[in-house]
Amino acid sequence: MSWSQAELVAAAYGVVFVFVLVYVAIIAAKLVRLQRETAELLELARGRKPAASERVPSLEAHEEA
Amino acid sequence: MGLAIVLALIVAPEDADQGISQRIFYIHVPIALTAYFCFGLGAWKALLLLWRGDERYDLESYVAIHQGTIFGALTLITGSIWARASWDVWWTWSSNQLVLFLVLFLFYCAYFMLRFSLEDGPRRARSSAVYALFGVVLIPVSFLAIRLAEDFIHPTVFTREGPQMTGTMFVTFCVVWAAVTLLAYVLYRVELAGKRLDADLRELREALG
Repeated sequence: MSWSQAELVAAAYGVVFVFVLVYVAIIAAKLVRLQRETAELLELARGRKPAASERVPSLEAHEEA
Repeated sequence: MGLAIVLALIVAPEDADQGISQRIFYIHVPIALTAYFCFGLGAWKALLLLWRGDERYDLESYVAIHQGTIFGALTLITGSIWARASWDVWWTWSSNQLVLFLVLFLFYCAYFMLRFSLEDGPRRARSSAVYALFGVVLIPVSFLAIRLAEDFIHPTVFTREGPQMTGTMFVTFCVVWAAVTLLAYVLYRVELAGKRLDADLRELREALG
């Protein structure tokens, strides 16, 4: 297959552009995953917060007794 | 980066000898220099890890080498395209510069094989650091091979007499180099921040049970 010089120049710059684009897409996908995991951990932490506050009165009652 | 591409593809004058294919030079050489810089940075961070024993240098060294490998792959691809345009072949084994860069690239590809074959921890960090330091020896060899080569296939643009190009060409080259270095730095910071956040979240998940 014969390639013209202009096509080869376009291919060289295009390859770099595609690489950077793919890299940014991978990073973006990772950020979305991290955002989801952060939300999950926040839910988990919020779920534990009431449980911890519930334990405090019972502890106080135990100490009084 | 936009300005750099405009300068490289439109503003810079066409080379009398190579014609339009010489424009690949403006992207190929800065990417190659950035790859060398990333590998060097990875080795420097590896040295700091071995010297100071701070674990954060392990991740910094890994990310720098990862960046270097990406830019190394781009160097080989753009170089191969330029070879097709200038010499009518995609690859030639007779050019020391090409072969030595391929050796350097494969050496750092093996870094990942070593790293991921070991358990996460200080042993992996130290082994990876030692390997990264060995690789740094190949950088000056690969860089100087173009001058030591006997075949003279690969062009030598920067000589002791200075850059062998016009002022506009040299300015274009410097602008593209600055843009590529900035791009590499931004990608390095973003990847590093992502990896640190990932590690922190994993630790937090374990702490929360």
